[in-house]
Amino acid sequence: MRLVPWLGALARFDVPIADVERLRFLADGAYDLVDELPRGPARAAAWNAYVLQTYADKLLVANRATHRVRSETAAVTETLYRLAAAWVARARLLAAGAADDAAPAPPGPLPHWHTPYRCQEDLAGMRETLEALRIYLAYDLQRFPLDEEELPRLRAALDAVDAKLETAHGLWVPRAPAELRGGIGAALAAGLDGAYELGRELARLT
Amino acid sequence: MGLFRPARTVTSPTGDYWELYASKTAVPRWRERDYDDPLLFPQAAFVALPLMLLAFLWWSVVVPVARMAVLLPIAVARGRRSRAVRIEAVTNYPEREVLLWTTTDDQLDGVLDSIVAGLAEGKIVQPLGAVYSGLER
Repeated sequence: MRLVPWLGALARFDVPIADVERLRFLADGAYDLVDELPRGPARAAAWNAYVLQTYADKLLVANRATHRVRSETAAVTETLYRLAAAWVARARLLAAGAADDAAPAPPGPLPHWHTPYRCQEDLAGMRETLEALRIYLAYDLQRFPLDEEELPRLRAALDAVDAKLETAHGLWVPRAPAELRGGIGAALAAGLDGAYELGRELARLT
Repeated sequence: MGLFRPARTVTSPTGDYWELYASKTAVPRWRERDYDDPLLFPQAAFVALPLMLLAFLWWSVVVPVARMAVLLPIAVARGRRSRAVRIEAVTNYPEREVLLWTTTDDQLDGVLDSIVAGLAEGKIVQPLGAVYSGLER
């Protein structure tokens, strides 16, 4: 553990990672469920759980050096884990036919941050998440037979996600000042929203 | 790249003359107290006025200079370690305006070109590879 970041985390009263990490087991099966289900509402719900769980895990991994996370990161991560668990439960109900698609669902959009500037660790977690989702989506788009009307639109949506990732890569420097971190965070948040939406659409296609 | 010599200059279609400065150092702002002490006892002005003069010197000269002396070396050291570059487009007429972008050192030339091209057309551009932070007066 590096001493200076760790002292900084203590001074900010950051939350121990272990306090948040215990929630990661709430959404048991979030990583596998999306590939086990056929395309439709249940798979779309499983996709949501997969994204939320991946995002939360990557945020914690990126902050592991200090064993602590900033309080806002802890709050967002906790929300992500709880939402992932709710979406796993919903995916299982839909798959078992015990609920229909019109039944009330957990909140749809990704939880957003309440401050404009992310720390470098959070940005690293967001970038890792977006890269993982981007790979999943590119593979999913490639293997699923799409008609010629749908394909260009979905490819354009994936290109938009790529562009956001590219913007973040272009601005990425070590010890970035707040202005750059703001730009990187905005690009990554937009990319994550786009990827989340595109994956949900792909999961529903039949 | 430097604080004192513009990296580019450009004139907009409306005649505004812009100088673009690129620097790794975010120079701290000169801050002085921006309110005056009320004269509480006008009948004792012969005592209060020297005190007010001393207060003015303290708050408007000594404290800002001391603040600058502490913060400027930190800003320079930070800038030397960073790969981020600030681009300020400055015009002084009809009123002083400063537009600020932040980019990375490897994209500086391309971003400067885009900003110059935009200002030459009278536009404030938001080039890829830079973050536009807005206008300061």
